[in-house]
Amino acid sequence: MSSAFCPVKRERLLRMAENIIETNGLTRNYGDICALKPLDLQIPEGEWLSVMGHSGSGKSTLMNLVGGLDRPSAGSLQVGGKDLLALNEDGLARFRREFVGIIFQQHHLVPYLTAVENVMMAQYFHSVPDEAEARHALERVGLGHRLKNRPGELSGGEQQRVCIARAIINSPKLLLGDEPTGNLDHKSTVMVMELLKELRAEERFTVVMVTHNQEVAGWGDRTIYLDDGVLVREERMR
Amino acid sequence: MLFRILKNSFLKRPKSVFLVFLSIAMGAAVATAFLGIAGEISHKMALELRSYGANILLEPSAVEGGGFLREEDLPKIKTVFWKYNITGFTPYLFGITEFSAGGKKERGVIAGTWFAKQLEVPGEEASVQGIKGIAPWWEVQGRWPENADEAIIGAALAKRLKIVPGGEVSALLKGRSQNFHVAGVVTTGGYEEEQLFAPLVTVQSLLQQQGKVSRVQVSALTVPMDDFGKKDPATMTKDEYEKWYCTAYVTSVAKNVEEVMAGSRAKPIWQIASAEGALLKKLNSVMLFLTILALGASAASVSTSLMASMAERSPEIALMKAVGADRFQISSIFIGETLIISVAGGIIGYLLGNQLAQVISRSVFNSTIASPLWLFPTAIISALVVAIAGSIAPLRRALLVEPVRVLKG
Ligand SMILES: Nc1ncnc2c1ncn2[C@@H]1O[C@H](COP(=O)(O)OP(=O)(O)O)[C@@H](O)[C@H]1O
Ligand SMILES: [Mg+2]
Repeated sequence: MSSAFCPVKRERLLRMAENIIETNGLTRNYGDICALKPLDLQIPEGEWLSVMGHSGSGKSTLMNLVGGLDRPSAGSLQVGGKDLLALNEDGLARFRREFVGIIFQQHHLVPYLTAVENVMMAQYFHSVPDEAEARHALERVGLGHRLKNRPGELSGGEQQRVCIARAIINSPKLLLGDEPTGNLDHKSTVMVMELLKELRAEERFTVVMVTHNQEVAGWGDRTIYLDDGVLVREERMR
Repeated sequence: MLFRILKNSFLKRPKSVFLVFLSIAMGAAVATAFLGIAGEISHKMALELRSYGANILLEPSAVEGGGFLREEDLPKIKTVFWKYNITGFTPYLFGITEFSAGGKKERGVIAGTWFAKQLEVPGEEASVQGIKGIAPWWEVQGRWPENADEAIIGAALAKRLKIVPGGEVSALLKGRSQNFHVAGVVTTGGYEEEQLFAPLVTVQSLLQQQGKVSRVQVSALTVPMDDFGKKDPATMTKDEYEKWYCTAYVTSVAKNVEEVMAGSRAKPIWQIASAEGALLKKLNSVMLFLTILALGASAASVSTSLMASMAERSPEIALMKAVGADRFQISSIFIGETLIISVAGGIIGYLLGNQLAQVISRSVFNSTIASPLWLFPTAIISALVVAIAGSIAPLRRALLVEPVRVLKG
């Protein structure tokens, strides 16, 4: 697998620094609670953005909005040139399956389907299931030997790698992770992050990842800090 | 893939799938049994009701004839177009005589008739015709007459003449007299209790009216009258007339027998004919209503089971939505599941229902029923209807699950 940081590719990355995500005054209220205060955020295509903040600061809320899982209360939200506010329920579903790959902290796999079937499910909703392709995706995340196992028979790190295989199977432009390593030990965390890095080098997707872990955030290009629904600080790593 | 999802989802929750399957199978079984029996009951009821009396009365037409029909024409009734619908008939010859028994005298009606006459008609199957066949509700204390000089006497008349079975009575008319041995006393609940019933030949010779008959009662299987059946045949086009003639309305059967009995006029006995039709219609609506009720109950039960499993399944649905399943795709999973269960339930329900119908039929009617061809599709359709009706609420609930829920740890 080639490195994402060979000079040619990096140059290309920088050249096409168009924003894949743009928010203006993006707000999400739950009744009286303002989970996300008006937020202006630009994420260039190809960037790896880490989102940090203490519990309840609105990280998941931001994630849900950007991934088309939830709708904002106010403001504008453009993802990949699409105005998400203009999409209806099925339009958002199509947006999710064609544009976004999501990795969750837990509750992430259908328990009664095998690893390969879980990956195929995403293909099925996207277009047509292709078992060979799904198998290949699992081989890429190092699970070629666990194809027929159900989630209950896999370790946390292995489950998370199935999720990654499923998230990338439809070649998304945007990969979202909501604390994907939150339940993993250090060794598994490093493994998962290295894997994501490799895949991103090949697939060239944009990453937005919520994390509590400063080390995990360090894998990204930039980190933003949320506090009580407000973007309070921003830090560029490279 | 859909199939894999469905298969594994079934295997994962065998209990709840079985419950849904059971509800659907029960619904389909009840529908099969009820509808199957409803058809059978209509048929059997028609037979039973028919036995409550003749529904066509043949009388001498006012215009021709000297007030009598000819006995020799009677066998022709078994040769008409609707002969297989004619379940029985009996002739009557009435006369007024003076009865005397044990010193008591009384004027009354003597009726010559057939009780159970062996009738041979060339080219047709031999049959037994007479009162016994068309008036099975007649209660005879004693026995039916067997010889030419035996009679049964109406209960009211017998009481006045103080006659009991085994007694003697003589009938006097214009100096002629005929002695009868009273074989039985008959209770009918009607005017017949005032009369004496004796074999036709004997009464013919007593009345000096050999070969003559006053009227004929005919019992026939007919279809309920509908608007078309009520039309006057005289105003029909040729095609309409043909259709009318070929439908077993009581009027067309009456027309049929009228044609073979010289000088006769056939009158449908409306009270009975229309009451039969109305009763059968009511009975069928009751069965249909019960069927719908049973299907409603199983739909409710399907709905409850599916609703219960929805709670367990909502994380899975949220996940499917999060990875991009739209409403149609979520629906097809649910509908696919219900479809499979309901087809299986329909088949099993049909088999069970058919057995149930047989058991009921055997214990109630003492006969098996031939299950009609339409019963199988009916069972499958009932199962589908139950499944669809029972899935509406759970499906709506599934569609309302928000994909955000998947991110909530
Ligand atoms: N569905 C909801 N209903 C009501 N309040 C919610 C809901 N989801 C999130 N919140 C509130 O919004 C705030 C931000 O939540 P969240 O974005 O999940 O925080 P984080 O992911 O940073 O821990 C919290 O105060 C949380 O209680
Ligand atoms: Mg969160």
